[in-house]
Amino acid sequence: MPEGGVRTEHLWKRFRADRRRMLLRDELQRVGARLRGRGGRGWRWALRDVNLTAQPGEAIGLIGSNGSGKTTLLKILSRVMYPYAGTAVAGGRVGALLEVRAGIHPDLTGRENVFVTGSLLGLRRKEVAQRFDEIVSFAELEDAIDRQVKFFSSGMQMRLGFAVAAFLEPDVLLVDEALAVGDATFQQKCLDRMRVVLRQGTTLVFVSHDFAAVEATCERGIWLRQGEVEADGPIREILGGYRQSIEEAAEADHRVEGLVHLMKAEASGANGGAPRTQESFEIRTVVESSEPRAGRIFLGISEGPAMPIFVLRRDVQLNGVETAVRCSIPRLPLPRGRYYVWAGIYDAPGRELLPWHPITHFDVVGPDLDAAPPATARLAPVHVEATWDVSNP
Amino acid sequence: MSAAEAETVPPSHLRFRRPFRPTDAVRQLFHARELIRTLAERELRVRYKQAVLGLAWAFITPLALTLVFSVFIRRVATIDTGEVPYPVFAYLGLLPWTFFSTSVSVGGQSLVQNIPLLNRVYCPREVFPLASVMVAGFDMLVALVPFGALLIIYGFLPKVTSYWVPVLLVVQVVFSLAVALIVSAIVVYLRDLRHALPIILQLGLFATPVAYGLDAVPVSLQPLYVTLNPLGAVIDGYRRVVLYGLAPDWGLVLPAAVSALLMLSVGYYLFKRMETGFADVA
Repeated sequence: MPEGGVRTEHLWKRFRADRRRMLLRDELQRVGARLRGRGGRGWRWALRDVNLTAQPGEAIGLIGSNGSGKTTLLKILSRVMYPYAGTAVAGGRVGALLEVRAGIHPDLTGRENVFVTGSLLGLRRKEVAQRFDEIVSFAELEDAIDRQVKFFSSGMQMRLGFAVAAFLEPDVLLVDEALAVGDATFQQKCLDRMRVVLRQGTTLVFVSHDFAAVEATCERGIWLRQGEVEADGPIREILGGYRQSIEEAAEADHRVEGLVHLMKAEASGANGGAPRTQESFEIRTVVESSEPRAGRIFLGISEGPAMPIFVLRRDVQLNGVETAVRCSIPRLPLPRGRYYVWAGIYDAPGRELLPWHPITHFDVVGPDLDAAPPATARLAPVHVEATWDVSNP
Repeated sequence: MSAAEAETVPPSHLRFRRPFRPTDAVRQLFHARELIRTLAERELRVRYKQAVLGLAWAFITPLALTLVFSVFIRRVATIDTGEVPYPVFAYLGLLPWTFFSTSVSVGGQSLVQNIPLLNRVYCPREVFPLASVMVAGFDMLVALVPFGALLIIYGFLPKVTSYWVPVLLVVQVVFSLAVALIVSAIVVYLRDLRHALPIILQLGLFATPVAYGLDAVPVSLQPLYVTLNPLGAVIDGYRRVVLYGLAPDWGLVLPAAVSALLMLSVGYYLFKRMETGFADVA
């Protein structure tokens, strides 16, 4: 395995389904139960037959919902855990930020932790000393570095953990969701640092629910679903697929209880055909209300979960039966892709008549967006008509 | 779990078995030397800084036990120590015993006490029991001071044969480390065992020739006894070389040494085997 390479072959990992107490008494009970033939040993598979290969220097974003095995995979790669079956190798020095409570030992001071971690990574004391000031100033811990780590706040621990992992020249850097604990400024700093480390040739495996951060940092995405690799490919595609599955899940289990009901929800081009970029587009809904009331209807279009690209609203007077609401957009500013329509209806004091929820989805036919420069994420897909004029006098 | 799901298990030839390569393990341990040193240092600093009596704790236990033995045990049993004053005889036995019992009680709990760490950082796990054994070693050094005082009080000079001490010391450390490793690993899986530990150690104190001499064991049974409890040969050896000016009884020290080494090998192997599951139950 070259330094910086990552490979897993047929990786399986399981945990006990019940978080049992590790006591002799309980153990004896279990043995007894098994002897009587009621051996209910429940196991839960955290990883199932995961095969991955990463070349040195690759940046991989690991995505998936909670419990899909992302953290377990990182733990196995960092050799904190061992597989049940199969193999997992990460070549060279592995720097890892696995949990918020970083550092090797809470009783040791920040300084001791830095040196000990360095020595565990195989660095000489002198080599760690050379980077020590950089680590401390990055983590903004100048005043606290000689305090025991257990007296650090969670943000401080995370900062120390990240700085240690990212500055001790790892060949493979594993970063778990722990970054979310930091404030926005520090998160940005971490992302910048991750890019620097990537340029130096380190392999990065980054777990995060912050899609923009993942997209800006990683070229390749791996989507884990219930312990299996659901998809592996360019990060944009993988995130797209993942977003779509979240939306569909949300659509499926939104059994909406409201004072009014939505009888119909359709989205299409004005002529009834497929929606096209910069052409006319319509959302047609029929709202049923048991009594006449005044309301305000909101319609939103989203790409990812819950965060709309734009929202439109309109006050409507609902009669006691059905009200058809049609919303037309003459020039749809969306590039090619799948989008979701969200709707919600509120009355004048802001009380919910129909909760905000996804109602339908549509696929836009049209051009792709121009790609952003490296290591930059755009916030939302908006198609903007533009003409360019480049002259060389 | 549905039937279809229950069937998807990895084929058995893929089962992960970490090969046990002692050279690899030792190399990784070498990388972790700084951690071991820092852990031991930290433990010592905490123990001796926070406690009011500081360093004195290292010898209060053996001294108190010496007193107890001198006053009470000799009331009920006659222990022939020859020309050697009994307190010197007993204290010299308590030195290795205290080392052993500290190694096992502190080392045995060292993994459980560091459970959160087992789950988030990689390091060879034996560093924790190892650091505890080092702490016990430091305690023993401190406890040598009152031993010197006892010698002066009784006007007793150590014999020249004391140069054999390092050999016996090796057996003592090897045996203590072996037990600490095994106990620490088992306690991770059976947490309540740590409550039984003090009782077992208490019994061990009386099953080991600390308050009395090894001659309490019938001569024909002595080789078997020291194979099971190498500490018996170590304590007897110390007394022979330091107090009586005799060479160690090789007929006992050799089987004890072999047995201690075997225990360490088996213990280390078991530890490395169980190590793969520590993080899962942590």
